[in-house]
Amino acid sequence: MASVSIDNVAKFYGNHQVIHGIDIDIADGEFVTLVGPSGCGKSTLLRMIAGLEEISDGDIRIGDRLVNDVPPKERDIAMVFQNYALYPHMTVAQNMGFALKLKGESRAAIDARVKEAAAILALEPYLDRLPKQLSGGQRQRVAMGRAIVRSPQVFLFDEPLSNLDAKLRVQMRAEIKDLHQRLGTTTVYVTHDQIEAMTMADRIVVMKGGVVEQVGRPLELYDRPNNLFVATFIGSPAMNLLKGKVENGGFVTEDGTVLPLPPTARTGAVTYGIRPEHLMLDETGFRAEVAVLEPTGAETQVLARCGSQTLVAVLRERVELKPGDRIGLKPDLSAVHLFDEDGRRLQ
Amino acid sequence: MSDLALTPRKSATSTNGYRIVQSISVFVIALVIISPLFMLFIASLKDDRFQILADMGSFRAFWVDNPTFNNFREVGNFAGDLAFGRYLGNSLFILGSTVSLGLIINSMAGFILAWGSLPGRALILSVIIALYVIPQESIIMPLLIIVSRAGLSDTFTAQILPFVASPLYTFLFYQFFAQLPKELYEAASIDGASIFRTWWSIFVPLSLPALATVSILMGIETWNQYLWPILITQTDYARPISVAIATFFGQDSIYWDRAMAASVMMMIPILVFYLAFQRWFISSFVGSAVKG
Repeated sequence: MASVSIDNVAKFYGNHQVIHGIDIDIADGEFVTLVGPSGCGKSTLLRMIAGLEEISDGDIRIGDRLVNDVPPKERDIAMVFQNYALYPHMTVAQNMGFALKLKGESRAAIDARVKEAAAILALEPYLDRLPKQLSGGQRQRVAMGRAIVRSPQVFLFDEPLSNLDAKLRVQMRAEIKDLHQRLGTTTVYVTHDQIEAMTMADRIVVMKGGVVEQVGRPLELYDRPNNLFVATFIGSPAMNLLKGKVENGGFVTEDGTVLPLPPTARTGAVTYGIRPEHLMLDETGFRAEVAVLEPTGAETQVLARCGSQTLVAVLRERVELKPGDRIGLKPDLSAVHLFDEDGRRLQ
Repeated sequence: MSDLALTPRKSATSTNGYRIVQSISVFVIALVIISPLFMLFIASLKDDRFQILADMGSFRAFWVDNPTFNNFREVGNFAGDLAFGRYLGNSLFILGSTVSLGLIINSMAGFILAWGSLPGRALILSVIIALYVIPQESIIMPLLIIVSRAGLSDTFTAQILPFVASPLYTFLFYQFFAQLPKELYEAASIDGASIFRTWWSIFVPLSLPALATVSILMGIETWNQYLWPILITQTDYARPISVAIATFFGQDSIYWDRAMAASVMMMIPILVFYLAFQRWFISSFVGSAVKG
């Protein structure tokens, strides 16, 4: 295991810069997720750590070693690809043992390591099968097994669950997290799915347009997003955002609705953010009209219209509502977020 | 009866009509292709070379009254000290060497063009495609001078080396390798494979259809070489069967019976070669059609 240090790293394709001087320190044994929308540069950054992309500027260190010019095979990393990248003509055991074979390990040592990894991933019955004879989840496990047998210093995952169906994704998510807890290997995991990022990571790096928007623990990002992008990207359903201004200690929306505010010295135009679960049914709250109800059993999502704006409230209790009902919604004042005109968080 | 029930019957009738026309067309085309081969085989079983000549141009060309294998027996002894088997052996050696080396060289080149970090790759590809359109005959005289100056006249090397690297087959391998997922290459490089090992252990086993296609095309091309071997060989030492058959066509007389038997004997190895690889050959063409 080793730490990973990314110091002012940039990436250019010709004159086009896709990564803009990124700094991230990943501690030994930490599980860090790089998350962001398509094209934000998260996979490029991961591939630079792997050595599959050249680093245009800055330094990447694995442990104490500068690896900028070190080829992938000498970086002591293992990577799990989105499409698994299993060798189609090799059996599961051969796929898992290929790296060890290249290292010149003995047949007995390879067999032992492959069996050990197969036991961890419940792959023992499939060792003699070809990848095409496996399900998506099993292939994903083989890809992880191939990474495990090498006992690398760092695991790199590039959207490994994207090709799986929703149910299997949840299962594999738990398996990867469990695996990390058992092995304790430093892991960098790329995903565009914020739920994956929230549930798996020790720390999340939110990226957009080749820059880091915020780095922090999942709940830190959820509770105190640095800007509007992080506020809307993290959390599902997304945070409600209302444009308006601070006046007389309250928040006045563009169409005149007044919402309560925690004490603030701020005045003028702001964006008011409140997460759906922090809106409660309360007749003393501001008025809204129910548009859509989405009961999931555990909770009910209420889509409500307040003037020209649409809000989502997540209610834990069972409610007898129907579209068109007028309701009162009261925000939890301790969970209100304010952002300035540039989208930055106001303290 | 409803329209729904009638529609398939109409469709079935027109489909049957289409199939009959299709079958007849295929049969006629097959007949046109097979008839010369059949005529060749029938002629090789006739004992009288003048009769073979007389039968050509009539349906008698497709019939033999008293079939005999005498021609095949005589072909083996025709060239005096050198048995016909020598020519056959020469051709087989040239075929085996050219195809084996060709598969290695062209697939390596195609792999590097597809996945190697090669400066000027686009230019090299353009040059390769440009080379492909140059007919071989147009460079045969300079090639002859080069080979002669290199002291390779009348050798197997002269018949193998110039044809090992081919722009067509390099490009064919390039296209095949380029359509494989790049993650395979990257996974291998992370696993610690050198570029040679990646080619050999990962990409070559996955390219059986391309290997089969190139083997067959290259095999047929090599086996049917005539102009180059007749220029480069002066003795029987390295002369292939294609040139040897020409010796049946003398200035004074033409031994049609033996020439036909020799031609049949020349066809058999390449037919066996084709049958051995045709499953992958066809699947490679089907695969490229489906994948676009």
